[in-house]
Amino acid sequence: MRKSDVLIVGGGLIGCATAWYLAREGAKVTLLDSGDFGMGASGQNAGSLHFQLERRFLENGDALAEQAARIAALSRLAISDWSSLEADLATDLHITMNGGLMVAETAEECALLERKITRENAEGLQTRMIDGDEARQIAPYLSEAICAAGYSPDEGHADARLVTHAIAIAAAKDGTVLRPRCRVQSIEKAGRKYVISTAEEQFAASQILIACGAWTAHVAAMLNLHIPLFPVGLLMNATERVAQAVPHLVQHVGRRLSMKQTHSGNLLIGGGWPSRMALDAEGRFALYRPPAVIESSLRDNLRVAIDVAPMIATISLIRSWTGITAISADQLPIVGEIPAMPGCWVAGGGSAFTLGPTFARLIAQSMSGKKREELEIVAPSRFSHLNSFMGQ
Amino acid sequence: MTNHSDVAIIGGGPAGQAAALTLDDLKLKTVVIDEQPRAGGQILRQPPRSFQIPAWMEDRTYAPLVKLLRRFEAQTSINWIGSHSVIGLRRRPDGLFTLTLCSPDGLRLVTAARVLIAAGCQDLAVPLPGWTLPGVYSAGGMQALLKAQRIVPGGHIVLAGTHPLQLLIAAQIVEAGGSVAAVLFSQPRGTMLKAGIRNGLRALDQLSAAFPAIRALATLRSHGVKVLYDAPIQAICGTDRVAAAQHPGGEIACDAVGLCYGFVSQSSLPRMMSAKMRKAGPAGGWATLCDEWMQSSIPGLYVAGETTGIAGANAAMASGKIAGFGIAAELGAISQDEAARRVSRHRANHRSLLRFARLLDEIADPRPFFPALRDDTLVCRCEEVALAQIDPVLDGRSANAVKLVTRCGMGLCQGRNCEPTLLRLLDNPNDPGFTARFPARPVAIGDLAT
Repeated sequence: MRKSDVLIVGGGLIGCATAWYLAREGAKVTLLDSGDFGMGASGQNAGSLHFQLERRFLENGDALAEQAARIAALSRLAISDWSSLEADLATDLHITMNGGLMVAETAEECALLERKITRENAEGLQTRMIDGDEARQIAPYLSEAICAAGYSPDEGHADARLVTHAIAIAAAKDGTVLRPRCRVQSIEKAGRKYVISTAEEQFAASQILIACGAWTAHVAAMLNLHIPLFPVGLLMNATERVAQAVPHLVQHVGRRLSMKQTHSGNLLIGGGWPSRMALDAEGRFALYRPPAVIESSLRDNLRVAIDVAPMIATISLIRSWTGITAISADQLPIVGEIPAMPGCWVAGGGSAFTLGPTFARLIAQSMSGKKREELEIVAPSRFSHLNSFMGQ
Repeated sequence: MTNHSDVAIIGGGPAGQAAALTLDDLKLKTVVIDEQPRAGGQILRQPPRSFQIPAWMEDRTYAPLVKLLRRFEAQTSINWIGSHSVIGLRRRPDGLFTLTLCSPDGLRLVTAARVLIAAGCQDLAVPLPGWTLPGVYSAGGMQALLKAQRIVPGGHIVLAGTHPLQLLIAAQIVEAGGSVAAVLFSQPRGTMLKAGIRNGLRALDQLSAAFPAIRALATLRSHGVKVLYDAPIQAICGTDRVAAAQHPGGEIACDAVGLCYGFVSQSSLPRMMSAKMRKAGPAGGWATLCDEWMQSSIPGLYVAGETTGIAGANAAMASGKIAGFGIAAELGAISQDEAARRVSRHRANHRSLLRFARLLDEIADPRPFFPALRDDTLVCRCEEVALAQIDPVLDGRSANAVKLVTRCGMGLCQGRNCEPTLLRLLDNPNDPGFTARFPARPVAIGDLAT
């Protein structure tokens, strides 16, 4: 039996970064993943660092938008976490924070932007409304049809291929035991300890973090717990490499779009367009198979991109890829200790690339006894009723 | 614009032609789609119509293939769509297939009740120091230039590798007036002969297929071209372009090198469809599994020719006929019994050709002879990823994980060229390789958005 202070299931960004923050403070951490680290949503997302209120929170009514605006406190922390990450890791992660524009094409969308920015400013985020001309001054690639934009000076992107990998290496240097390609077969609670069994080894610790993205619900089930995170298959697209022309993160307030240009020159185009998840033999979503591209998603996603930046039309698409992330029952992330099961932490469910390092840092601090109030808004306690009849 | 056919055939080589003629004979509406403007596949890659070439591909080896091609081209009831790449293929819930075709004029969609993928193969890309210098070709690329463009690529050419096809290509080059500095076989002659004799007995009925190689040797001898055995190419030297090929016996001055280590199936479309694949021959790559009627694991999706494993043009022709009858029987254009009766001789022929292909596999087996890579040798040319970047992250990872961390395989070719090399470096027999992604070929965003 290998003993640690903390066991982490899931080698994505949150898992690796939590291990790193804990290990830096001297904690003994063991990190397990069923595959290679960073191969799920952490490596497959397109690397947006978005701090404006997300479009998905705006399209489902004011109540949700109001609640989601409170995430701004976390966004403020994330801006500073991403700003220092490369220096802390002494690695180039292709992080650029040259600003981001959330564009609008119609009068209705402009009004939505205005309401959004008012909310953000009230929460202390430095976003501002600019008109179409100013937007085109900042971003000459934008179409004449853009009539306004929300501008955030801090937005940008990082290379999702590199971030989790680099943090895992740093965590290992600080003493974290890494177990890639090591599938958890069971988790048991023995007194105050959690015991994880894999095919080859057993691991024990008094605290455990479940951060497996779309697999979180499966892993939590091993402790007879419900975590309302649902798998979501998304579509992303990469163009051929072209000369640097888009230094910003570009989003759309009324249509699904995220667009940026990588360090290598590829334009990455996404924005939350669905793909079709495969089903397994029992008719459940198959999490280990890549979802299929939905043709209308592809067409419409590229259409928005061209409407926003017409020069894209002549650039070649070289790859459309799909990946699976997780979304919670109320759209807000679920991050914190599960009230019914002290010592068991969970983290996941949306915005987990942008907010990942921040969630990790706050979890690490909270696990060490320095409770962080910023996590209140995303605490799992809001779903406690689901576990009224669960646990052990 | 949508076109509907009973059968859509991807690939206008011998397999696609044979299947199309079979289906057309049985009155099924058939469309054949190919990236090249004219039919023929790689084996009979045709020059543009405006070229006037006396005695094109007149060697008697090609005679049955040329006959098939002329018959195919004369058959006006077969719908030919040249100069189009199939970039996407989908099986709809109603069982019909939708194919997305791409050309410089934009996209078009084709629907069909059955699809046959007969997409051929490509040269195995083999990295070695200097392989990205201008003047280095795949031997098949050289041959394509010769067949279709009448170009001899270089003044003084070295062919190097393990596959006997390089003898034929060298002979074609000298016959076209080019100059071949040497043909380098990595393996000792004894190794080739032993493999030939050991397996020759199993393929006696196809030994005539070895005659072209013997004739090519005679041609090369009469032109004074050196054929060296046990002379594995180790590096290609030069600063701005190829200057010499290096092997343990010394350097051979040249200005072009053709590498010939074997061939790998085009597998992007069947893999995009999640058809069941198997590891193909010793050269690497993926062959699509199929049943005795050439149907893949995806209902309605058939495969023929090199898509099912590298076996040459005659085997492709035979398997195309089998697939044609299989599809026709399934669509009710011919009874199952009649189809079985009519394919029996093609099946026997196909089996015997496959035995010869296995013999050739063994003679040409490149595995012991892959050149050693240096730290700065590029493994992935599209993304310029060198061995030094890949080596430290191999470490038990999957090919997809190495791709993510290093960009190896993320480029324009979608990993077609570097995947076999990476899988050799990983040396994990269970690795399924890169996840195949849409589109099979790069396509303008504007074309997809309409």
